[in-house]
Amino acid sequence: MAVTLYGTFAADRLALLVLALGLTGAALLTYALATVNAGSIVSALVGVAASWSLSAWTRGTGAPGGTVLAAVGIFVAAELAYWSLEQASVPDEGELVARRAAGLALRGFGALFLVACVLAALGLRPGGGLILETVGVAAAVGLLAIVLVLARAVYEAER
Amino acid sequence: MTDGVVRYATPKLGGYVVLTALGLLASLIFARPELAAVSAPFAVVLAIGLAVSRRPDVRVYVDVDRDRLLEDEEVVLEIELDARDSAPRLELLVEVPSGLELVSGANPVALRLGFGEERRLELRFRCTHWGAPRLGDLHLRAGDAAGLLVWEETLERGSVLRVYPRPEELRQLVGPRETQLFTGNRVSRAKGEGLEFADLRQFVPGDRIRRINWRASARRGELWVNEFHAERNADVILFLDSFVDARRSDRGTLDEALRAAATLTERYLLEKDRVGLVNFGGVLNWLRPGTGLVQRYRIVEALLNTEITLSYAWKEIDVLPRGTLPPKALVLALTPLLDDRAIGALLDLRARGFDLVIVEVSPLPYAETPPGELGELAFRLWKLRRDGRRLQYERAGAPVVEWREGEPLTSVLEGVNASRRHARARA
Repeated sequence: MAVTLYGTFAADRLALLVLALGLTGAALLTYALATVNAGSIVSALVGVAASWSLSAWTRGTGAPGGTVLAAVGIFVAAELAYWSLEQASVPDEGELVARRAAGLALRGFGALFLVACVLAALGLRPGGGLILETVGVAAAVGLLAIVLVLARAVYEAER
Repeated sequence: MTDGVVRYATPKLGGYVVLTALGLLASLIFARPELAAVSAPFAVVLAIGLAVSRRPDVRVYVDVDRDRLLEDEEVVLEIELDARDSAPRLELLVEVPSGLELVSGANPVALRLGFGEERRLELRFRCTHWGAPRLGDLHLRAGDAAGLLVWEETLERGSVLRVYPRPEELRQLVGPRETQLFTGNRVSRAKGEGLEFADLRQFVPGDRIRRINWRASARRGELWVNEFHAERNADVILFLDSFVDARRSDRGTLDEALRAAATLTERYLLEKDRVGLVNFGGVLNWLRPGTGLVQRYRIVEALLNTEITLSYAWKEIDVLPRGTLPPKALVLALTPLLDDRAIGALLDLRARGFDLVIVEVSPLPYAETPPGELGELAFRLWKLRRDGRRLQYERAGAPVVEWREGEPLTSVLEGVNASRRHARARA
């Protein structure tokens, strides 16, 4: 939803179409989660991604501001949606939930780092300025912290 | 997990493949490289997830704390998991058969097992209904760390539980008219060795001195001896009509009849009588009369396996083998009086001279009056027809007592005894 709203407000034109695509994606996601329908999740994510892509297209060439966050948002939404489907059939134990949450955070930070690297490799300079750089540094530090915590947990478990 | 494992891709794998492909394709078509960046996390999760995923190795041991129990008692199922390799997410579902309900423990459950970790799970079930449920069959589903692949297996590790019906309280049993030759607890009409005084007679050579009734002998001036009733056992055949069952939700006439049969078996065997069983229904089975604990278990096992089997084949009492119905046996029928084959067979038994008592397990609490005037009329006609059948049995000399849901069995049997006493008095 945040990706959709950001895309709508940032679009230079066709804002209503961007909003419509994004809202359709959000509605599909709600339907997929409510009816435990895995097939609709893909359509929902495609809708949100299309909404954001349309918004980016209206702003001309190059990666617009928020590309990294939008990519991470879509990825985390997909992870959470599939996790929710699993919970609908068999709920996780408390310990497993904590581990999976940590794993999801790790993957989110990893995605942030990865998308930023890919954009840099492609020669695209995503907008965002100081805020995005702060988020990037925080992501890198968080990623390292989670890796350290997990490594320590594994080491202690093996001992 | 063993060789019966099925591996399949999760919806997440398909979804990520589609999202990656669409992102890359859109990137090419619209010449927007940032779309490739958006799909990159999905592609990386796919690549790493599939590269590191491997089949989990988890050993499962299942045990139940006991396999013979009464209704409303609890049984504990222990599941021991031994992970030879880590299982990031292991779903475990225990099949719960009808007649059992989960009291404590989580089912299904999803957990994580580390490398070499052992876990013990305890599930406590309450037996809500008699029968022979199979408990302990498991479904395992293990997913990889990325949730892209799943391995599924069904483990048939179940044990068959024997849930016996809870016995009813009984004060008095229906006494047979005739006793048999073996020693038992019943006072026979015949004279012989026993405790119950029967009569006096004149002394004849060979009589024991201890039998002489000295008071009577002194009064009459010659020797008189006491005679006693012999103590014998009886043959009791429980005739179970399993052609049809009037049922509502989890209760029915067959349940009541089986509970009564189990109680009667236990009580008659305690009286040293020989008890047999005739299960007269779509599937016919029988047990010849016998005594002792083994016979009790045989009969209860046969009762546990009783079920209604739909059959249109006409059956008569002739199909039973010789010896199943010994002469002078008391036949105690437990029937809802709904099927003509059972009704005919009982009349046939009475015509052959068997001492027949019919406990009618009333189907009326399970029947609803059909709507409308015609429905009510039909219902009244049906009840009148049932009354006519009862009269037919009573004319043939077989008492019929109606046993309604919730009524104690002991009061029903006392009713039978009262009607038999009246019949003897009239005779």
